[in-house]
Amino acid sequence: MERADVAIIGGGLIGCAAAWRLAQRGARVVLLEAGEHNAGASGQNAGSLHFQLERRFLEQGEALAEQAARIATLNVLAVADWRAIECELGADLHVSMAGGLMVAETREEVALLEAKAAREAAAGLAVRLIDGDAARALAPYLAKSVIAACHLTDEGHADPRALTPALAAAARAAGAAIREGCRVEAIKTPAPGRFVLRTAAGGVTAAQLLIAAGAWSASVAAMANIHLPMVPVALQMNATERIAPAIPHLIQHVGRRLSLKQAHAGNVLIGGGWPARMAVRSDGGFDLARRPALSETSLAGNLRAAIDVVPMLARLNLIRTWTGTTAITADQLPIVGPVPRLPGLWVAGGGSAFTLGLTFARLIANAMGGERVRELDLFGPARFDHLNSFMGAA
Amino acid sequence: MDVAIVGGGPAGQAAALQLAAAGIAATVIDEQPRAGGQILRQPPSAVAVRDWLAGRSYRALKAQLAAFEDCNAVTWRGGTSVIGLSMNEDGAGLTLADGSGVERLHARHVLVAAGCHDLAVPMPGWTLPGVQPAGAVQAMLKSQQMLPEGATLFAGTHPLQLIVAAQLVRAGATVAGVHFAQPLRRFATWLSPAAAIARSADLADALAALATLRRARVPVRFGSAISAIEGAMRVERAIVDGVPIACDQVALCYGFVPQSALPRMAGATMRAAGPAGGFATVADDWMASSVPGLWVAGETTGVQGAPAAACEGAIAGIGIAQTMRAFDLREAERRAAPFRAAYVQHRTFAAVLDRIADPRDHFPPIAPDTIVCRCEAVPRAALAGGSANAVKLASRCGMGLCQGRNCEPTLLRLLGAPDGPGFTARFPARPVALGMLAGD
Repeated sequence: MERADVAIIGGGLIGCAAAWRLAQRGARVVLLEAGEHNAGASGQNAGSLHFQLERRFLEQGEALAEQAARIATLNVLAVADWRAIECELGADLHVSMAGGLMVAETREEVALLEAKAAREAAAGLAVRLIDGDAARALAPYLAKSVIAACHLTDEGHADPRALTPALAAAARAAGAAIREGCRVEAIKTPAPGRFVLRTAAGGVTAAQLLIAAGAWSASVAAMANIHLPMVPVALQMNATERIAPAIPHLIQHVGRRLSLKQAHAGNVLIGGGWPARMAVRSDGGFDLARRPALSETSLAGNLRAAIDVVPMLARLNLIRTWTGTTAITADQLPIVGPVPRLPGLWVAGGGSAFTLGLTFARLIANAMGGERVRELDLFGPARFDHLNSFMGAA
Repeated sequence: MDVAIVGGGPAGQAAALQLAAAGIAATVIDEQPRAGGQILRQPPSAVAVRDWLAGRSYRALKAQLAAFEDCNAVTWRGGTSVIGLSMNEDGAGLTLADGSGVERLHARHVLVAAGCHDLAVPMPGWTLPGVQPAGAVQAMLKSQQMLPEGATLFAGTHPLQLIVAAQLVRAGATVAGVHFAQPLRRFATWLSPAAAIARSADLADALAALATLRRARVPVRFGSAISAIEGAMRVERAIVDGVPIACDQVALCYGFVPQSALPRMAGATMRAAGPAGGFATVADDWMASSVPGLWVAGETTGVQGAPAAACEGAIAGIGIAQTMRAFDLREAERRAAPFRAAYVQHRTFAAVLDRIADPRDHFPPIAPDTIVCRCEAVPRAALAGGSANAVKLASRCGMGLCQGRNCEPTLLRLLGAPDGPGFTARFPARPVALGMLAGD
């Protein structure tokens, strides 16, 4: 039985970053990854660094928008984390923070932008609302149909292919053990603050356990007899052929599902929350082991929105549409913090975890190290503790 | 629509003709403007080519092509790529792209008879202009009567290079040499009675090719391996057995890999295709894949040559017609019997050819800076990781325009996992303009 201070389940961005931060603090860390690191949403997402409030928070009515706006406090922290990360890791992650524009094409959308900008200003995000001509002065490739935009100078993109491997390397260098192909088959909690994990390659016992398994987090938590209201969602994204640098900004849309940027390699990556279709098991549950199926409707809709906003894209070739699975939570806010029902159990994940993952990992490592981390107060699993009234160590 | 056939080569034609005989119309889709596939690559209709493919082994295939082109039950969709294939309870959803736009097509049954492509073989210098797969050299010759300029050196393990070299000589081009990496004794199995009887026409064509090359004083060498290609801006010489040989073109011929993008996209069960690598679609006795409604024939099920492909296509056509209740199983067996009998012989020959051409012990060395993925310019040294998908994510190998079609067999070989799993198949099978997909 291998002994550790902290066991982490999940070799994605959050798991590897937390392993690195915790190992830096001197903890003995063992990270267990069922497959290969960076194989899930951490490596499959399109690499946006979006710090403006997301469209998905704005489309569910005023009350939810108000609640979701709390995430802006994390966005402010994430800007600083991203500005520092290449230096800290000593790695080229193709981080580009040349600014982002969230565009509007209708009067209703302009009103949404205005309300959004007010919430962001209150949270300390320096968003600037500009008209269509000012947007085109910044980004001449935008269509005439763009009548307003919110500009945030810190937004941009980074390379999801590079970040998690660099974090894993840093974690190993700091002394963490990262085990790939090591699926956790059972979680036992023989005593408070003691977790025993069974894998085919042997057991691991740890005083603290962090679940950072993305779309698989809810099923991993089930092994510890805990409900975690994180649900998998399948998205699809598109890559064009490579072209010379033409689009330096992150472009998003306040009223339509659209997020696009030109990656370091030259491909334009187009997404924005268009769904793919998850496979279903014969017993009715979603089958996360199988690749989600492409949706032609999403494909056409996504490309339509992209071309409407950036007309030059119509001429480019699509070379790849890919699908991936991520997780969102019951209230759309991330779940990052301790599980009250099971002392020593921690969770981090639940949406926007490329942009925010470094921040989740840094804050949770501090909290697991015993610090009081007020920034996480709003995001802990405690807000869903009622779901676990009948669960836990019973 | 009842039946869509992807590929107008020998397998697709044979299937369409069997369906027509059962009173079932089929739409046949092919990237080339005219039917024939790679084996009978036709010149553009405006170009008249004298003695087009006069060899003995082409006769039966040409007769089938003529019948296909005269068949009223066939709707021909040339110049059209199938870029997506998805299967559900109702059948197949195909996404087609041609010069003018993208179109969705639904068919109760789809037969993928998409043929094969040359195995790409990396070695130092293989990305220089003037290096081509032998199949591409032959396609230019067959369809355009275009000859490479200067002297072409052939190198590899597949006997097709003899045929192509002789076709070049007959068309008036210069061949610097034909180099087989394997020893001559590997060819002895060809002369076994079973193989010789099975495909005497091919043997005759090969012997005729050898005679042509000898008359033209083209050196044909065995146990003679290419290890690098050199030149400043384009091919100037090939290094063969450590010795430079001056040439202007290099045609590489190590074998063929099934086109597998569409069956993989549709989730069909695949298997390792054979010594040259790649993936073949698993099929039952009637050429049905593991996915209901998806049928496969020809090189898609494993590279066995055009006559075997035509047999499989005919069996698939009969199988589809039977499934559509055009006749009962007994009648289907009666119709299929001659094709099953012929298929056994062609298969025997294909197995012999596989053994002769087996490239696995003869691949040229790949240096750390040798490009493995041409599309993304990824050198061997950058390939690190566990699975093919992980290497793709980490290195961009396979992320380019060809969707990994060319580098996948080499990558899997370098990973020590030639049987896969390979890259996850992604839409679209061919690049297509965003505007067309958005419905512009």
